[in-house]
Amino acid sequence: MRETPVLEIKGIKKRFGDKEILKGVSFALNRGDIKAIIGPSGGGKSTLLHCINFLTLFDEGHVYLNGKEIDYTNKRELYAYRQKVGMIFQDFNLFDHLNALQNVQIGLVRVKKIPKAQARDRAVAELERVGLKEHMDKYPAELSGGQKQRVSIARALAMDPEVMLLDEPTSALDPELVGEVHSVIQKLAAGGMTMILVTHEIGFAGSLAKEIMFMDEGVIVEKGPPRKILYEATQARTREFCDKIIHFHRGGDESR
Amino acid sequence: MSEILFLRNEVAPAMLRGVWMSIRLIVPSAAFGLAIGILTGTLRVYGHAVLKSVANLYVTLFRGFPLLVQLYLWYFGLARFGIYFSPYTAAVLGFSLCSGAYHSEYIRGALLSIKEGQMLGAKSLGFSKTQALFSIILPQAVRRALPGCGNELIYLIKYSSLAYMVTCIELTGEAKILASLYFKYMELFLIAGAIYLVLVSIATWILNNVEDWLAVPGFEPPRT
Amino acid sequence: MHFSVSAGLKAVVEGLPYILGGVWVTLVVVAGALVMGLVLGTFLSIAHVYGNRLLRMLTGIYVWFFRGVPLLVLLFLFYFGLLGALHLDLSPFLVSIVVLGLISSAYQSQILRGAILSIPEGQLKAARAIGMSDTKAIATIILPQAFRLAIPGWSNEYTIIMKNSAVTYALGVAEIMARANHVAARTYQHFWLYLLAGFIFLALTYIGTKLLSLLQKKVAIRGYAR
Repeated sequence: MRETPVLEIKGIKKRFGDKEILKGVSFALNRGDIKAIIGPSGGGKSTLLHCINFLTLFDEGHVYLNGKEIDYTNKRELYAYRQKVGMIFQDFNLFDHLNALQNVQIGLVRVKKIPKAQARDRAVAELERVGLKEHMDKYPAELSGGQKQRVSIARALAMDPEVMLLDEPTSALDPELVGEVHSVIQKLAAGGMTMILVTHEIGFAGSLAKEIMFMDEGVIVEKGPPRKILYEATQARTREFCDKIIHFHRGGDESR
Repeated sequence: MSEILFLRNEVAPAMLRGVWMSIRLIVPSAAFGLAIGILTGTLRVYGHAVLKSVANLYVTLFRGFPLLVQLYLWYFGLARFGIYFSPYTAAVLGFSLCSGAYHSEYIRGALLSIKEGQMLGAKSLGFSKTQALFSIILPQAVRRALPGCGNELIYLIKYSSLAYMVTCIELTGEAKILASLYFKYMELFLIAGAIYLVLVSIATWILNNVEDWLAVPGFEPPRT
Repeated sequence: MHFSVSAGLKAVVEGLPYILGGVWVTLVVVAGALVMGLVLGTFLSIAHVYGNRLLRMLTGIYVWFFRGVPLLVLLFLFYFGLLGALHLDLSPFLVSIVVLGLISSAYQSQILRGAILSIPEGQLKAARAIGMSDTKAIATIILPQAFRLAIPGWSNEYTIIMKNSAVTYALGVAEIMARANHVAARTYQHFWLYLLAGFIFLALTYIGTKLLSLLQKKVAIRGYAR
């Protein structure tokens, strides 16, 4: 018997003005799946993630969580859904007026309505999970990029998500800080978290994901296991893209 | 010698009466004004189209009309239609609505300067728009708006003197009455002026401390 | 009294020419105050930035005084107090311009001071390096830049003085507010006439701000970004 996918999207279409950004995207995620989306800039990857948790409203399509379609016009349903689908942004979006602990705590207190003391304990635990317990009193401006991103992961995890959407989590980071974020993501994966990862870090995507989807001009051109997509793609466009980056990254990969 | 007696028996009580009335005018007007400013400023940025237009119209009118004209409209103007406000009520009403319009400008500017990403971050955790506004956006906006709003409060202390023009006798009024009675204009207005200077200086000092107390490391308004 | 739009409109239309006559008075008061504020303010700002310790302290006190005491109190102080003490007999009109001008000079000195301080140190250094005296350097290099930077602040100052000019009614200056009151006393249509006065001020503020932003565009230096 086929299990119900945790997350499924069907036929997502989105246009901005007269430009069609997403031309009908569909896929399904089973529990524990890790899928990476790669592709050239402007291909719609980021927009797709923003559509999945309704930060951007799409024009056509359906989103299902555990088999049930999400009706975004029902506010309560929408907010509950967003807690279950955690999002990590490229520019972190930590709350600037709160320190690390408060950043993780605030969702628990305000959205989940958990009492403050309990929320604090949970927040500390999450920060410990990402290795930042000693920095919990620091404000975003006092943290490095890698630390900020780890706090944002802790913040999303505190909401007990079923799926995590990671939108280029390391693109805004200095190279030496990328590793610490990657190791946290790897830990999550090892723990069985269902994830969609949009990234330019091909090596990382290849080592982490079960399936890679190549996206260009608003459609998923091809999808398959990393080995296949990166080295033996069937579509010309895929091959063209992957050839270029494999050459670029190969040296870096080996030295890691 | 009689000068000192004069000061003690006539001037001091009058000045104290005046200052007390001034404070009774300033404090409620400051509180109402700030509240109105936060409400309308938020509506002008996040409200529905109709609310936004109403709020914008309010701000245009109440920042465009001189305060004196506004006070006269409330006290003398409405009286012609049978709506009689006491001088005190008309003054507080006028001060609150006028300063509210200025506060809303600072709040609006501050709200617009908050990065869009803050709202996105909040939404992604399941915050409703209202929750995000109260817990995430406004706490940051208030810090950004503090210099502007603080300035407006200082102005309020000064333009509370206009209450005299609608026959509400506060510090300036007491000074004028006494001065006309004893022909001691220079002395009395210097004393009144000095008292205002003290009030303004204290308020400035408090505001600077509040700014420091609320300051969050690294959180500075974007330098233009 | 009853709410009558027709009676109100009638009073407004009848009184309009007389009230509009007050616009000239208001404009002269505002212009006079702005110019006085600018001239005095320029000297004050230079003293505040480049002066010795004593000068800086004195300008500091001046600014603190004229920004701290309410306009109404200053008007009364000067007109009833100072004139009496000095046995001078000046018109309320003149006293109003002087008082508004002194207050404006305090604010404008700060606007200009901010503008001067934002000009990089290198500008003055370069001027000295080619042999300019400090006075010449300030006049020909620093101030032209500072004035351009100060225009937005100036625009704000204009709107403030415009609205403050209504207070001079307290001294009996025959400007817009005084005239509106005059007509109101005759026709009992206070509400509509004050509304009219308000809109006239609003219009003057709007027109002035537009003109000043045109000025800013006209004197702007291409590519000059601070």
